[in-house]
Amino acid sequence: MIVGTTLELVRCRSCQTRFLPTDGPCPKCGSTDCTMYTTSAVGKVLAATELHYPATGWHSPHRLALVELADAVRVLAIVDGTLPVSGALVEVRLDGPVYRATPEPVG
Amino acid sequence: MTTHIASVGMGRFGKRPEGLIDLAAEAANLALEGIGRKPIDLLMVGSMFAQGPQGREALLPRLAGRLGLESASGLRVDSSSGTGGMAFHAAVLALETGRFDRALVVAAEKMTDRSTAEITRDLAASLHMSEVAAGATMPALAAIISRRYLDRYGLSTDVCDLVTVHARKMAVANPNAHFQKAVTPHEVASSRAVALPLRLLHCSAISDGATALVLEKGTGPATVLGLGQGFDALRIVDREELTSFAATRIAARRAYEEARLTRKEIEVVEFHDAFAPFALIHMEDLGICGPGEASQWFEKGWVAPDGRLPVNPSGGVIGRGHPVAASGLAEVGEVALQLRGEAGAHAVARRPKVGLAHAMSGIASHNFVTILGTRAA
Repeated sequence: MIVGTTLELVRCRSCQTRFLPTDGPCPKCGSTDCTMYTTSAVGKVLAATELHYPATGWHSPHRLALVELADAVRVLAIVDGTLPVSGALVEVRLDGPVYRATPEPVG
Repeated sequence: MTTHIASVGMGRFGKRPEGLIDLAAEAANLALEGIGRKPIDLLMVGSMFAQGPQGREALLPRLAGRLGLESASGLRVDSSSGTGGMAFHAAVLALETGRFDRALVVAAEKMTDRSTAEITRDLAASLHMSEVAAGATMPALAAIISRRYLDRYGLSTDVCDLVTVHARKMAVANPNAHFQKAVTPHEVASSRAVALPLRLLHCSAISDGATALVLEKGTGPATVLGLGQGFDALRIVDREELTSFAATRIAARRAYEEARLTRKEIEVVEFHDAFAPFALIHMEDLGICGPGEASQWFEKGWVAPDGRLPVNPSGGVIGRGHPVAASGLAEVGEVALQLRGEAGAHAVARRPKVGLAHAMSGIASHNFVTILGTRAA
């Protein structure tokens, strides 16, 4: 396995919902019977924006993208690089407590 | 239900020199004068930022003392920007138990004495901490939802500009509104970028202000016909839909069911347009039109005071200003003024018999819908 090409997600064994890891139970049914699985780290940008007034502690330009991964699981990621257009492919990685997205090289 | 709004008290929204208690007391006294200062046995107070420094603590007992309501019962609620809606619902529910006869509901916020950075940070407390950890702010998440909405229905930001133009035009007729000057589509489109597609004039402003209502047992022109609440996932990545708010849809369905009405019978609506594109989403979630159809309501002027369904005749959150906790109660108060024939210069063309008010907490994580009408339910 090449590091950085997969992401860990969660599947609820009770209702089968797949979701981004959280410190709580299944966001759909509340079950704690959940299991981790890995999936491709490449996802499609649903929408992205650049904050011209970033929150305290963040530097301009701060860009955020909502990315859809496999199984329709979504992640809010900090964009490293230029602002991607809706529909662009990005690679998502976990960096401490946050996710980061970088544009997927073409070819 | 047998609870009605007997009196509405609103101070001016905007940048005010007074502190929180003074703003709250001003609105409360206006509402109390409206009923000839009859006895109040429940004081319901809402504020989001009242826990902070600058002597804002103990808002409830301080306000009770200021108003001479020491013998009343008191409760305080907080649901971020939906606080006013929650305070109203809580007071109605309390009266419906039969335990109280007359309630004073007050929602107030003092915001302009702090920096935009501080306000932005504190408003983000209504978001999921994992998304705040990535540097998300209210405008950032609103921008992402707005981008998705515009893309989905193939719309340009022109329609968002029209939402703001409508809001500011309505506000000019409302002497209590923060903004007293109309804007052109060009002025909106050329205002500075906040988080594209959102520009400054697409976003609600930081305002001071308070609203107060007196609720009584009985019926009148502004009787509560239906209440509804709904939740949605706090973490936006967990939401099934981004271009529609489940919290509004659930709240509206419950309120319509309880009122035994459909949207066709609603004659005036006040909704929580904290960001201009949200006005389009609210129109659809409240059943005023189908998905993707809201833009034409603004393009064709159907939302005007003499249009098919007058929308936000007060100026809404964008035009009236947004002292966060007070906005949800001001929305109910505006509908009550319209029904009671007390809206003055911002009265809609035909005095309505039924109206709907909508309040939103955070990014639509907990929303409130209230239906008021002239008939007893």
